[in-house]
Amino acid sequence: MTILLDVITTAAILFVVAAGLLAIFGVLKIINFAHGAWLTVGGYCAVATTGMGLNPWLALPVAFAVGSALGGITEVLVVRPLYRRPLDAILATWGLGIVVGQLITLWFGRDVQFTPNLLSGTINVFGLDYSFYRLFMVLAALVVGLGFAVLLEGTRLGLSARAVIMNETLARALGIDTAKVRLTTFMIGTGLTALAGVLLTPLTSVDPDMGLAWLIGAFMLVMVAGSSFGALAVACLVFGGAQTLVSTFVSPVLGGITVAVLCALVLRISPKGFARA
Amino acid sequence: MTEATAPVPKLSLIEVCSGYGTVNIIDTLSMTVPQGQIFALMGKNGMGKTTLLKTILGFVAMRSGRIDLDGQSIAGVSPASLIAAGVAYAPQEHALFQDLTIRDNLRLALHTDKELKQGIERVCQHFPFLRERVNQKAGTLSGGEQKMLILGRALMLQPKLLLIDEISEGLQPSVVERIGRVLVEECRANNTTVLMVEQNLDLVLGVANRWAVLKLGRIDDSSEMDTGSRARILAHLKI
Repeated sequence: MTILLDVITTAAILFVVAAGLLAIFGVLKIINFAHGAWLTVGGYCAVATTGMGLNPWLALPVAFAVGSALGGITEVLVVRPLYRRPLDAILATWGLGIVVGQLITLWFGRDVQFTPNLLSGTINVFGLDYSFYRLFMVLAALVVGLGFAVLLEGTRLGLSARAVIMNETLARALGIDTAKVRLTTFMIGTGLTALAGVLLTPLTSVDPDMGLAWLIGAFMLVMVAGSSFGALAVACLVFGGAQTLVSTFVSPVLGGITVAVLCALVLRISPKGFARA
Repeated sequence: MTEATAPVPKLSLIEVCSGYGTVNIIDTLSMTVPQGQIFALMGKNGMGKTTLLKTILGFVAMRSGRIDLDGQSIAGVSPASLIAAGVAYAPQEHALFQDLTIRDNLRLALHTDKELKQGIERVCQHFPFLRERVNQKAGTLSGGEQKMLILGRALMLQPKLLLIDEISEGLQPSVVERIGRVLVEECRANNTTVLMVEQNLDLVLGVANRWAVLKLGRIDDSSEMDTGSRARILAHLKI
């Protein structure tokens, strides 16, 4: 029973972490390797918010605002000239990630920072005491997933974004401001990633490299998922599940690389991953 | 003095040059499209008809010359602003989002959803078969139905200037006739100006007020539609 809850909550955590990367990759076809840095920025938003004596939950909107503002600046200055050079964009965002990491080090120092738990204690599920916060992450993943579904399927911005994904030339011919769609998508993606960084703080320590540990897993999951949030959810369940099982029954060290290795294997066999062409 | 009283043309091009790479596809081309008329642009393949439409919209950069809309230069105006100012474009290729519904395809022509209901109603009056099928994917429509949807979408905003690229290509005569009827009705009802690139001579003879033949990036011949037009156009288009 604990294993089942572990699988579900691990999948939920991976989904929340990878969602921002998928939003950007899905619409912009750009792999944002600064993703880890935005997670870290989110973590430090939590540190700063609690440092100022504010309610730790306030870190969520603060991180979204800071993340999307930084994302907006990044899109305009770094990413916009590179849409036709996706490989260069990987390098540029990777470099940006290093810069952001160093700036955070300058500001907050190398030391590990601690933030208060957003939700502490355990809750009884089917006669089993389980971490309340990990279960809360399932809710967070559902909110993020459903939020994106509503945004994409129900709003004009989502419709425009889908139009840009499907046929950008035609979208422009209909008068859609594709530059604005890209900027907004990038900002939502980075804002959401910083928010995910806050959500990670109770599960991990906050240090300038905090996001890096999550980057490769998130990247591999997005490669497998393509541009579909449904496929991302499935990928998180399958590979997150595998990670939990390997960590529990074999070794936590091997568990740490399970997602990356399995995703690489899947992509070797089926280059399109879980996304149907 | 007579020029001062002449009505301002909807669209005028003066010695326009544009193209791709080092090649000028449109070469010092001048033409005038009068307000409220249907202007047919004909010519063999590869003569620059589509490039001309893309230059007017700003998708292909103009290298020299001048393009005026309602007497105002549109140099440097973005495609999005032109379209917002009442210019609609019905492209020839990959002109629909096949995986989106008919409703969403129509919706994408508008800036807000406020006028969506009216817009769809107007389009359905022209093409009633769309009414039952608005929630179907555009890819499920037949070739002719897709062309009607493309035209319908271009009419969603009740454009002042409509640029159409070979809408009749590959269509059966009854559909071509219907499209022609809609164009004429739209011009009459809303004083819409139409610049249509077209290869179908019967459609052009049926609806256009004016025609021009494009050859190697320039206007080779142009005239109001009259009894001699058919023979003249045919002489230009024969291989």
